[in-house]
Amino acid sequence: MSTISPSLIHTLSLMMIFTSFAAVEARNLRHATLAYMAQALLICCLLGAYASQNVALYYWAATALVTKAVLVPWFLWRSTEGSEEETKPVIGFGISAVLVIVLLATMYRFTHAHAGLFINIRGQTVALAETNLAVAFTVFALGLYGILTRRDAVKTVVGLCLLENGVHLSLVSLAPNLKETALAGIATEVVVTVYLLLYIIGGIREKVGTTDTFRLTELHW
Amino acid sequence: MRMPTETTSVLPALAVIVPTAAAVVVFAVGRTGRYVKEAAALVGLAATVALSLGVAWQTVRGDVLVSFGRQLYADALSGLLVSVVSVVGLLAGVYSAKYMRHEVGASDPAGERRLNSYYGWTLLFVATMLWACLSNNIIMLYVAVEASTIASGLLVAFYWDRRALEAGYKYLMLLTVGITFSLFGCVLIYTAGANILGGPRGLLISDLRSVAGQFSAATVALASAFLIVGFGTKAGIAPFHPWLPDAHAEAPTPISALLSGVMLKVAAYALVRTISLFYPQFSPVALFALGLGMFTMILGDLMALAQDDLKRMLAYSSVSQMGYVLMGFGIGTQLGLYGGLFHLVNHAVGKALLFLAAGAIAYSTGARAISSLGGLARRMPVTSFCFFVGALALSGVPPFSGFQSKLTLLVAGADAGLWWAVVIGIAMSLITLVVLVKAARLVFWGEPRPDSPAVRAKEAPFSLCAVMVVLAVASLGIGLWPQALYRPLSAATASLQTVTGARKTFVAVEGRASGCTNGSWLVGSLYGSGGKQTVPVARR
Repeated sequence: MSTISPSLIHTLSLMMIFTSFAAVEARNLRHATLAYMAQALLICCLLGAYASQNVALYYWAATALVTKAVLVPWFLWRSTEGSEEETKPVIGFGISAVLVIVLLATMYRFTHAHAGLFINIRGQTVALAETNLAVAFTVFALGLYGILTRRDAVKTVVGLCLLENGVHLSLVSLAPNLKETALAGIATEVVVTVYLLLYIIGGIREKVGTTDTFRLTELHW
Repeated sequence: MRMPTETTSVLPALAVIVPTAAAVVVFAVGRTGRYVKEAAALVGLAATVALSLGVAWQTVRGDVLVSFGRQLYADALSGLLVSVVSVVGLLAGVYSAKYMRHEVGASDPAGERRLNSYYGWTLLFVATMLWACLSNNIIMLYVAVEASTIASGLLVAFYWDRRALEAGYKYLMLLTVGITFSLFGCVLIYTAGANILGGPRGLLISDLRSVAGQFSAATVALASAFLIVGFGTKAGIAPFHPWLPDAHAEAPTPISALLSGVMLKVAAYALVRTISLFYPQFSPVALFALGLGMFTMILGDLMALAQDDLKRMLAYSSVSQMGYVLMGFGIGTQLGLYGGLFHLVNHAVGKALLFLAAGAIAYSTGARAISSLGGLARRMPVTSFCFFVGALALSGVPPFSGFQSKLTLLVAGADAGLWWAVVIGIAMSLITLVVLVKAARLVFWGEPRPDSPAVRAKEAPFSLCAVMVVLAVASLGIGLWPQALYRPLSAATASLQTVTGARKTFVAVEGRASGCTNGSWLVGSLYGSGGKQTVPVARR
């Protein structure tokens, strides 16, 4: 079994923060899609790097390449035809930039102080996993932030995709020896969920004339 | 008590494969003939019921059925759940045949296509719920629960109008986000378990039971929190429930019955299957679940009081009733778990009945606003009777089924010294009675306004009434003869008891158990059918 290059893992993980931020903050939905696609490719590289520990991760990397880097961006791209500009979000760029720095610092401190809570696999490179988890939790939190603060329904789907990427990145750190069937199941369901969500959002655009979630006011309490 | 023996069997696998195959048939050839889709769906659902009852029959006797190298694992708890899911699924299918043709327009080619999609997704929905109930792989349990969300997403948005689309969007988005938290919990359990068991055995829930006591308290607390948020979101536990009233109200009625009747239970099953791993050593987890159950009960009932939309009111009532189920799991004693599972079954029957009755009203009047209806008792006597049975059952009025399960829960709470929970449980039961009976009175009694759609109403078609009557008879039957469910419920509770064995014991009692105390007396006197019975005794 070959060893993992820590510097490579750290670099790829940190680049995920930038792509997440770009995906959340890009006002043009197609630019956000491209940022997401870049992040998906980074995940594939990360999975490939970790595959030296578990060959099953090669299958997951291949699945992620098809689902995250090809299918999901394609669905997002198609759903933005004719309406590329995002509805103005609730919170703007400045606050988001501050938030991402605070989030990363908090998660970094948390994962390094409480690594024992999460990391149980024997022989794991703990320092590597700590940084990776900090990044994963930050990406997850940014995804959640995107869902909560973006008004455009398509953009909330981008947020959901980021949230799922955060989970998947953490899986690689927490459970690098997971079987390929479980990994394939997790990866596949994301793409189906995204497809269905965008299909329904297409219906909303058709019936309501916009994908602004603030206009979805038929159902209260 | 006989120790469970593992037997390799095709039944659990077939219980998942058959409805999936039926869905494939519906999608592939459903459009070739007018009634092909209904026939394929009903045959598939009927076969699934037969297989599920086969699983239940064998597991109730103490066997554990395994398939696919123990990836599917059916004990008595799984057997109980798959029976409930498949039976309610079949009844919803039978109800759908007439109801959905009325909804989409029988002669419209586009309607035929939509019906095809409806039956295909419904079968997949049932299949994924069964998969969740049978999965022994903790990660695949998450995958199956999420798959059931995916399978039902388009069903929630089926009517494709503004309200349905909004409900469908919220449903898929909120549930996917919520359930993702449970993946974190599952992975934490897996990593902690794999560290002790080594490799793939850390994935198997059946094997994790033996080592969960060795996990660190912090890991348990974190994993439990993630699981409660994740599966709790899907189970409609407050405050993670906002998707529920929208989805249950806007989906076609048979799907509302499935969502409220069984999907919430499958999520509750996933929750109890996973967090009960920690009960013996980490009682704060149970206490937290109990507190959340109480909060859910109160919030659901109060919100139900304020509703005018009949289906929305029933949806909020489901939130409240899930609080009772969680109360039982939270009490954590043998009697509490028994009561929680008993109420789970009763709510599945009662709420499916109420939703289908609301559907029958909508079928005949085109309305579901309580304030716009009235005087339907004379025009729709069968529907009226069935609605009242469901309302009284879920309110806990004797001799209906809900009375038995709520009494069991309250005695379990008293037995465990949790008097505050008992008081809240009784108070909320009274509010449920007010909510449901008040709605029933407004809808069925009095005289409708001249412009009310209720004026022209007539009784729902035979197939709709037949399904409702079956559920009403079941609800009344369970109330009058609760010992009919004693063995499956007792065996299902014992499945969890293998986890909680460190705190509980089983004693053999004769017949009506007059010598036993507290909870065991209740179980013995209510459910003991004579002869030697194995009755759980809660030990504080």
